[in-house]
Amino acid sequence: MKNVILYLNQFFGGVGGEDKADQEPFIVEGAIGPGLAYNAALKDAKITHTVVCGDNFMGSNTDEAVRRIMEMLKDKPMDYFIAGPAFQAGRYTVACGNICKAVQEQLGVPVITSMNEETPGVNMFKKDMIIMKGGNSAARMRKDVGAVCKYVNKVLAGEPVLGADAEGYFPRGNRHELFLEDKRENTAAYRGVQMLIKKMNKQPYQTELVIPKKDLVPIAPAIKDLSKATIAMLNTGGIVPVDNPDRIQSASATRWGRYDISGMDRLEAGVFKTIHAGFDPAAANDDPNVIMPIDAMRAYEREGKIGRLHPFFYTTVGTGTTEAEARRMAKEIIPFLQEDHVDGVIMLST
Amino acid sequence: MKLSIGNLYVRDVVFGEADSFADGVLTINKQAAIDYLMGEDEHITSLDIVVARPGDDTRIVPVIETIEARCRMDGRALFPGVTGELAPCGDGELKAFKGCCVTVVGGTWGSFGDGVIDMGGEGAKHTYWSKLINICLVGETDEEFERYEQQKCNHALRWAGHRFAEYLGRIAKDLEPEDTETYVFDPVLKRSEERKALPNVAIVLQPQSQMEALGYNDLIYGWDMNKYIPSYVSPTEVLDGMMISGSFMPASSKWSTYEFQNFPTIKELFAEDGKTLNFVGVIMSNLNVALDQKERSAIMVRNIALNLGVDYAIVTEEGYGNPDADYVRCQVILEDAGIPVVGISNECTGRDGKSQPLVTLDEKLNALVSSGNVSELTVLPACKTVIGCLEAMNRDGMSGSWGYDEVLGKSARDDGSIIMEDNNWFCGDHISGFSVKTMVEM
Repeated sequence: MKNVILYLNQFFGGVGGEDKADQEPFIVEGAIGPGLAYNAALKDAKITHTVVCGDNFMGSNTDEAVRRIMEMLKDKPMDYFIAGPAFQAGRYTVACGNICKAVQEQLGVPVITSMNEETPGVNMFKKDMIIMKGGNSAARMRKDVGAVCKYVNKVLAGEPVLGADAEGYFPRGNRHELFLEDKRENTAAYRGVQMLIKKMNKQPYQTELVIPKKDLVPIAPAIKDLSKATIAMLNTGGIVPVDNPDRIQSASATRWGRYDISGMDRLEAGVFKTIHAGFDPAAANDDPNVIMPIDAMRAYEREGKIGRLHPFFYTTVGTGTTEAEARRMAKEIIPFLQEDHVDGVIMLST
Repeated sequence: MKLSIGNLYVRDVVFGEADSFADGVLTINKQAAIDYLMGEDEHITSLDIVVARPGDDTRIVPVIETIEARCRMDGRALFPGVTGELAPCGDGELKAFKGCCVTVVGGTWGSFGDGVIDMGGEGAKHTYWSKLINICLVGETDEEFERYEQQKCNHALRWAGHRFAEYLGRIAKDLEPEDTETYVFDPVLKRSEERKALPNVAIVLQPQSQMEALGYNDLIYGWDMNKYIPSYVSPTEVLDGMMISGSFMPASSKWSTYEFQNFPTIKELFAEDGKTLNFVGVIMSNLNVALDQKERSAIMVRNIALNLGVDYAIVTEEGYGNPDADYVRCQVILEDAGIPVVGISNECTGRDGKSQPLVTLDEKLNALVSSGNVSELTVLPACKTVIGCLEAMNRDGMSGSWGYDEVLGKSARDDGSIIMEDNNWFCGDHISGFSVKTMVEM
């Protein structure tokens, strides 16, 4: 019998609703709440312990919450760690992702969780772990728990797993070989000719290698009178306040930040730095303006070359960041620019 | 053109006094075969023949070539321009020993393009060859000029392999085949109205021709494909010894001569010919390295296809990496010419699976078959028997193996176990069409 430990938030852990979201983490023996459904669906495994933590506590004190939970788990025998299902509960999905990532990295135990695709947790963590595609409400509990268990049962039994689409989890951005059953219909020769026939007959077919669409953005028309224009500064070079308040990742970023530069004539070393992991940071840490040239823009502002500088700059990290994430982040940033009637932006890289 | 291949199914291979084939048992006079092959090439200094059977706990390395043993009933060379005088391929009668292959193995020395075959255990699934009885020709040569080179022509051993396939094939000459495959390729301009009403489909083959120095590339009628521009050939020519494989290209992406002789994607097109499509032939291209050479070949493929009236095409490459540029370009130029394409190749996504699968991508590639991943890491236990020399994996720059790695150690370990990339399985990604692998997001 294999040992599985489950993570739940305060609601599914039976502590209470939003008013109990500050609940500090604790661990109990055995299964509670959804754990009963897990125990029914797991084949040769059972939930030995359940960790419960309030979503707010996890969200506001992530490092502390993770540290305490790791302390609770480190001596417990554990073959698998399951979090959720988190459905469409935003903070809960992020909590599941954070705790799974920590267990996987610090304890070396396989992890799995389940979330709805419309949640921040999916975007933040899908590359790091198996996240089953979950429903949008607790009405889907039985189905989502079943999907998680089906996968866990397979892995614990040492059976081959068939990849993201077949198993029902979010693609992690890693392509690997899969051996099909050894028969003529599965040979590359047969697959190729049959795909061609479908293409000929305008029937649907599935390419085995999807080429990502290039998202070419047309060049914007020139600004007619720069001296009246409001200009904003954005960068993918990772320039942030030294404490990186938005916890933007150093690579494969999914997060961005917005930093006030009202009254600043330049970005001072020691106040700002880069957290980009894709280049030698020495020069940028000595003088953050080499990536984010606020000093030069202020000079243009004084000279009247531009109307004014938008009072915030925006930062993410470009290395390893997918086009899809970049697009999402841009969409989140654009309303702030529109609100201040920004006429043009300068997009700075590294 | 009409090509008939009479098949004789080999259930075992043994050594004996006289060459014969009876009741599924192929008997070879080993010494006579060795004497013949050594007599044909003074550069061969020693030669042995070893039989490896499906399921054997046997690892074969470094594998240089695989070939099907066949006989041309009209006495023509099996590989015109290679094992004998030039003569047309593509029509006539052949007999073939099925269920076995001649496997050419370096006795001591390997090279970049050489690979590994496991006959049993977990490693067997990685190649098609483990399903066949491998009649291994294991040899040493005096080709000192390339002894310590990573790239070897391996001329003496490769040619010995082709001669051996022809030599063994002659045993079949007067025997009755169990069944006969027939491939009819009618003149495309003289086909019936019925067939002309079907969509015209061609296959574009891109065999390996990257080495600027001659002697390493695939040959067409004995001609080095680096000094070649695309031409139009019959699919029956490909199946009938027009092509031999080269010594270059990482092993798993290679098309061996056996694969040309049995090219599965060509056979699948024949299976649909006259039913769902009108198979109008092969546009034989190549895979040279310089950009103008790539563009020239793509242009010529396009124009042959347009002038022939090709409506749809399959494009497939013998390689990955640099050749992906040819593979992608050829598909794009055909799509742009109004000829929709399916591409068949392998991928290289890195050990973590996160790298771009082909060196260049284009959105116009919307129908691709993936036959494997050169970068997968494989660890396998020792086999009881090794045919060849395991140390070649550490020493000779075989693709996908290495002699030193800080973390992983060397590829061929002292206990006989191995760690290598899939790159090193001999023809392991079977881009020719045998592959039952695909690629998925894991």
